[in-house]
Amino acid sequence: MSATPSIRYHCQCIGDPQPPPPHLPSSSAWFHPLHSLFFCEECDAVRCNRCVSVEVSGYYCPNCLFEVPSASVRAEKNRCARNCFMCPHCRNTLSVVPSDPPDDGRSHAPINTTGEPPFYLYCNFCRWDSGEVGITLEKPTGLATQLQHLEDAASDSLEFERLKEHFEPIIRASSLSSSQSAAPPVHMHTNSIAAAASAALARDIPGISKFSRRGKDKSKNKDEFPEYKARLDVSTASVRGSAGGKVDVDHMRALETIGQVASLEQRWDNSWTTSLKASDLQPLRLPLHAKRSKRCPQCTHILIKPEQKAQSVRFKIKLVAANYLPSITVSLPHLDQLAARPSDAMKRSTSGRPEAEIPTGLHPGRSYPFHLTFTNPLYDPIQVRLAAQRMHVTGGDGTEKDRSKRPPYAVSLPSSAFAVAAFAEEWEYEDEDEDMYGLDDDYSLATRATRDEHKPKTKAVGVIEKRANLTTVGGEIVIGKDAHGPVKFNMMVSYAYRSDDGLQDEGGAAKAKAPETKTFSFYTVIDLGLIMQKPAPPTELDF
Amino acid sequence: MSSTPIYYSKAEYIETDTGNKVSRRATISGPQNIILGGKTIICTGAIIRGDLRRVGPGHAVVISLGRYCLIGEGCVLRPPYKTYRGTFNYYPMKVGDHVHIGANSVVEAAAIGNHVEIGKNCVIGKFTMIKDCAKIADNTVIPPNTVIPALSSFSGSPGHFVEYLPESTQELVESSTKRYYNLFQPLDR
Ligand SMILES: [Zn+2]
Ligand SMILES: [Zn+2]
Ligand SMILES: [Zn+2]
Ligand SMILES: [Zn+2]
Ligand SMILES: [Zn+2]
Repeated sequence: MSATPSIRYHCQCIGDPQPPPPHLPSSSAWFHPLHSLFFCEECDAVRCNRCVSVEVSGYYCPNCLFEVPSASVRAEKNRCARNCFMCPHCRNTLSVVPSDPPDDGRSHAPINTTGEPPFYLYCNFCRWDSGEVGITLEKPTGLATQLQHLEDAASDSLEFERLKEHFEPIIRASSLSSSQSAAPPVHMHTNSIAAAASAALARDIPGISKFSRRGKDKSKNKDEFPEYKARLDVSTASVRGSAGGKVDVDHMRALETIGQVASLEQRWDNSWTTSLKASDLQPLRLPLHAKRSKRCPQCTHILIKPEQKAQSVRFKIKLVAANYLPSITVSLPHLDQLAARPSDAMKRSTSGRPEAEIPTGLHPGRSYPFHLTFTNPLYDPIQVRLAAQRMHVTGGDGTEKDRSKRPPYAVSLPSSAFAVAAFAEEWEYEDEDEDMYGLDDDYSLATRATRDEHKPKTKAVGVIEKRANLTTVGGEIVIGKDAHGPVKFNMMVSYAYRSDDGLQDEGGAAKAKAPETKTFSFYTVIDLGLIMQKPAPPTELDF
Repeated sequence: MSSTPIYYSKAEYIETDTGNKVSRRATISGPQNIILGGKTIICTGAIIRGDLRRVGPGHAVVISLGRYCLIGEGCVLRPPYKTYRGTFNYYPMKVGDHVHIGANSVVEAAAIGNHVEIGKNCVIGKFTMIKDCAKIADNTVIPPNTVIPALSSFSGSPGHFVEYLPESTQELVESSTKRYYNLFQPLDR
């Protein structure tokens, strides 16, 4: 899936601190690219999008970019209340066009709406227009308001109004009674609305009450709530042609192309059963997008807080893991050498990113060096120690038949700690013309040359290069004779850093104490790619 | 994340004082109407139509590109046009910093923000507005007049919203465009 070699970082999501073995399918759910992770200083822990709690901090229309006040979002049903509609056929955003067509009939899109009424909603991708469903507009502005009556008359909104009418007195009554009794405030998911809903559900669906935690006070609820009668039930809906009745059968009989049936995707956005006919599909207002804040699930501290402006890409608070954990990149030098041979390099030169599909070149029964480059984001140097997590190949779930006998490959990592220098602003690629990086380029080319001369020494497991806040270390992978499948292993990274925390804590007297060293550990999974099944081609690249 | 240089033939590219690298095999029409911000790469076979300018006297910027942009092989950049009150006209195209456009894409956008990635073989329709840190997947067709909000990724034909991009997209794209520029090395033969 992702380009190899690759590395991902583990988030324990307030669960097992040990990651699952890398060959299990569940492994991928626990590992993420570093740039998608957060860091909670309070808990001293990595957090990911699966475990953070998310809150909406603002709504906007993704087309007109209008920032919708939270207060009106509910009344406007989470959709743009201005001029933005979605094509019912292809979901493209619709344009408004006048009824006098432009001179060249081919290009509807580039004309401006200065023409004659009535106006139509028009899709400049699939050429659907609202005339097909009898929708016309008197003026080219305030479209949502002009079409409000259609939406209000739709069965789903009528049914929803009826439901609200039905439940409102019950909610009012129960909130009144709970405020009179000195009961503790009701918890979120046991509030009166949920109670009313689950009581109604228990009555309408026989047997469901035994799955409900509130089943015990069933008798009490039964008397309290009047029965809800739907405006329209499924049996009458079929007469109108939306739920498999005769109307639908007749329509299907006369079908000429599959396109005449509205696809699931096209009907997905409706909240009610709709006609099967593609020609009946109605335009929908564009759903709003949200800017989101994110909190630590453990201590509820804010990790992400965006700026108010919808289209700003800045954040008031942004605690991302990349500012705390060293970033690690993996490379396979034998691949880089293949790629760096000028003939190949020219071929793949500028046609896209360098990480195109390159065969991994890993063959059974051989060993390969790999490089790990650590970049330190901290203003203090760090000491890094690596350890490969022992492979639980025999444990597993029993489905790993042939691999369960012995590990298909062995990993060697540097056994002693190594330093990665502190980040300093001047090491950032300079923007201005006297480019630090320009010098770096020559330097890196030079080291590349010397590295190539020392090729026989690739067995070296240890520090290979240090520059700026980067340290590259080498490891080695020995692949078994009968091995196949991906070469993946979990690696624990521990780094020791200088901490200033001790200065405040531990009973005020410790002010003059030297800064203490703390260690943070995290897991990664390294994927070096698939072991190739074909025998190794005769090549001068000997490792 | 490879650190392998991306070689180009030294004879093919012209390097400007501000570090722009422009292939001699790219077609730059109306260069006086085109602005390159610096450290921007224009690859083999790209076509940039600075000649399609608004009627009228004097100078007009037709296409402006920011810093650290990449216009991939075979890309076409063409200013959008429309007929307004009976008059046909071209409108300028503005592209921000750190914008990469993949090979063989055709772009007629009105405005592209900073830190935007556009994949290979895309069609970006007339007057499209792409906001900061957005991403368009390979082979996407964006119909005319589309607005792509900040930090969102689009894919498909017609292009649809797929997901919100990570909060660190700006840093990510910035370092990747700078790395690309620094790895883009001449090969002397
Ligand atoms: Zn998590
Ligand atoms: Zn926390
Ligand atoms: Zn809107
Ligand atoms: Zn359409
Ligand atoms: Zn806390």
